[in-house]
Amino acid sequence: MAKIKKDDELILANKELVFQNKEKEKRAAELVVANKELAFQTEEKEKRAAELLVANRELAFQNNEKEKRAAELVIANKELVFQNDEKEKRAAELVIANYARGLIEASRDPLFTISPLGKITDLNEATVRVLGLSRKKLISTDFFDYFTDSKKAREGYEEVFEKEFVADYPLTLSDNDHTEVLFNGSVYKDDKGGVVGAVVVARVITEQKRIEKELIEAKVFAELATTIAEEAKIKAESATRIAENAVKAKQQFLSNMSHEIRTPMNAIIGFTKVVLKTNLTEKQKEYLSAIKLSGDALIVLINDILDLAKVDAGKMTFEQTPFQMSVSISAMLHLFETKIQEKNLQLVKVYDEKIPKVLVGDPIRLHQIILNLVSNAVKFTTKGKITVSVNLFSENEESATIEFSVKDTGIGIPEAKIKNIFENFQQATSGTSRLYGGTGLGLAIVKQLVEPQGGTISVQSDLNQGSTFSFILTFQKTVAGSESDNRIVESDKEIKNINVLVVEDIPLNQLLMKTLLDDFGFGCDIAGNGKIAIEKLETNPYDIILMDLQMPVMNGFEATEHIRNIMNSKIPIIALTADVTTVDVTKCKEVGMNDYIAKPVDEKLLYSIIVGLVKSPVTLITENIKEKKDVETYTGKGTKCVDLSFLNRRTKSDPTLMMEMIGLYLEQTPPLITALREGFKNKNWELLQSAAHKMIPSFSIVGIGMEFENMAKKVQDFAKGQKDNEELSSMVLQLVNICAQACDELQEEFNIIKNKIK
Amino acid sequence: MKTDNKIKLFLVDDDKLLLKSLELEFFQQGNYAVRTFATGELCIEQLSDIPDVIILDYHLDGIESNAMNGIDTLDKIKSVNPDIPVIMLSSQDKIEIAVNCMHSKAFDYIVKSETAFVRLQKVIGTILNEKKMEKQLSWYMDRM
Repeated sequence: MAKIKKDDELILANKELVFQNKEKEKRAAELVVANKELAFQTEEKEKRAAELLVANRELAFQNNEKEKRAAELVIANKELVFQNDEKEKRAAELVIANYARGLIEASRDPLFTISPLGKITDLNEATVRVLGLSRKKLISTDFFDYFTDSKKAREGYEEVFEKEFVADYPLTLSDNDHTEVLFNGSVYKDDKGGVVGAVVVARVITEQKRIEKELIEAKVFAELATTIAEEAKIKAESATRIAENAVKAKQQFLSNMSHEIRTPMNAIIGFTKVVLKTNLTEKQKEYLSAIKLSGDALIVLINDILDLAKVDAGKMTFEQTPFQMSVSISAMLHLFETKIQEKNLQLVKVYDEKIPKVLVGDPIRLHQIILNLVSNAVKFTTKGKITVSVNLFSENEESATIEFSVKDTGIGIPEAKIKNIFENFQQATSGTSRLYGGTGLGLAIVKQLVEPQGGTISVQSDLNQGSTFSFILTFQKTVAGSESDNRIVESDKEIKNINVLVVEDIPLNQLLMKTLLDDFGFGCDIAGNGKIAIEKLETNPYDIILMDLQMPVMNGFEATEHIRNIMNSKIPIIALTADVTTVDVTKCKEVGMNDYIAKPVDEKLLYSIIVGLVKSPVTLITENIKEKKDVETYTGKGTKCVDLSFLNRRTKSDPTLMMEMIGLYLEQTPPLITALREGFKNKNWELLQSAAHKMIPSFSIVGIGMEFENMAKKVQDFAKGQKDNEELSSMVLQLVNICAQACDELQEEFNIIKNKIK
Repeated sequence: MKTDNKIKLFLVDDDKLLLKSLELEFFQQGNYAVRTFATGELCIEQLSDIPDVIILDYHLDGIESNAMNGIDTLDKIKSVNPDIPVIMLSSQDKIEIAVNCMHSKAFDYIVKSETAFVRLQKVIGTILNEKKMEKQLSWYMDRM
């Protein structure tokens, strides 16, 4: 039983076990299923996870998208703002565009656009106005129809589209006024750069045209005026030249006439005088006296005319020589004695003794003045007296002012005529000349002689009672003695055996001089010109020479220079001059002549001069020289060749400038002198010419005389013509000397100024 | 400022004395700024200073024979600046010389004499006047 039980139990146990196993297996199977379920569940879980991931991703993406959208929204907002802005801008632009259109419409210049085919597409109001056609009519028409020259307009239009622009293309509108326009056009393009058309401005230039025309007219006018002015200038210049030539010709003529008339007159008067000395019947004497008087009158007339001509030409010169006033006046009045006696008049001389004995002035001119006044007085007075008074008007340390008056008891001058009587060819009444003769030149000359010397002349007159002419002149005082009065004071002593050489080319005058000298009892020899005279002088001894100035071959100046400088002879030489009033006198003295005598020769004067010079030639010369020096120092002008007045004027006497100028001269002149010398010596004409040329301007600056300037010009001409002759040689020498002298003198002046500055 | 209103003048002459004398004369007129040159070469060197007028001596090769003469100087000036007016000054009164100078475009030709200065002044006056007119004309032209 235990066993059965046991077995039972075992069976049971087995059964239990099997069951249990079965259970276990069931359980295992269930586990598998569970496992499977689990796996499945896990799988599901994984799936779910994956899905979740995707979902997450999707979510992220969605989030992203959302953000994007938001951003886009912001942009869209911005865009909207921008668009709004743009809209506003457009609106503003539209306003502006309207404004621009308004401006275009307001323009006064026609403005229009044309299509590439030349049709008008748009236009402004000005176009309408200028063309006078309505907008509608104008639009789509050919624009070149509106110009007078449509071909040219077409060319202009072609040019616009070809070159994309055209500027200031001139055209004329075919309106009523034919308005001139300047056509300015340029193409305008669309967005793609394609030419859409051209915009054209046709600027109305009527006003500009008018201004242009006026300007051109003004220019032409100005040119014309310039031309006229130039012509006038040329005319004036030629007129000046003609006038100058005329003056020159006049002077030349007068000078020639003077010489040509004087020469025969000289002979006529001279021989008349000679014949008068022979035995004649009363009738013959009377006739000859008439001839002589007429001759004298003619000479006076010629002198008068010459004097006036000289005054006109500004050539009247006044000498400054010392002379004795009282002697001079007496001698002159002496000349009227005969005439006064003839007319049964009285001549009274009133002379103020306070007047200084010797004065410096021009005695010849003074003579001329008084002579004219006294001869007038004599001429117009039939009875009564003529009073010549000379009174000291005022006096100071340097000068004396003297009043001269000539009073007559003649016909007088009507008051109305008084102011005219000093004019040329004026006499108190036109009948006067018929009654009393004369040319009416006398008083004109007197006035011309008094006023340039700083004097005044006045007249006071009562008709039929008489006239008083008075003039006031100022003379310089001098310490020097006067020129010897041998000219006037006659020598009583008869001097014979004087040998005279007469140098004179005109046979008549030769004969006359010979006759006169024979009369004096002097020996006489004749030479036809300067050269013959020199030859004669070399072989024969003479006491004195009478030298004519104008002669062929060698003139009086040259001959005198030769005698003084080359022959070293101190023989007295008297110049025979045709006209004492010219500057010849100065030149005579310069070349070394002792005295001069005017033709027609006054025999008494000739005699006294000859005797005076032969008696004491040496003393006379030295005395002359001394006087000259005194006068020169007195007037401050020496024999110096330079004259600083120009420089003084130019520099306003500034010493530094003066020194500078003088220094320049001193610096540049010596090389010029050398060049001049060398050029002449080596016949280097070019150098000689240049040197002479270079010298010319400096002469006037440092005040060297005109004659040297002319000399330099002559040298220049000679050198150009390569003319080598004696004259050139002498001129070169003179120029070299004068420049050297000028340098010396200027050096001195330079030092003086320098010391003054110190 | 000072030189603005003054007429700028170049004087060329190998004669120093004459040169100085002219300079003084112009100087005393007050309204000229004067520069002087002894030779043409010196003047040409200074052309950049542009004078209003040049007064040129014709005979510049007087003593220095290798110096540039007046005509050459004139030609040179004109080649550098043809607008500067040049007045020739000479002691020669020969027509041919004057004509030659004119051919070389000299503004005028004046013979040295006492009246030369007055004539120079007058010619300078003419030159300035002409310049003024030209200026006015070009102004008008510009305006057009």
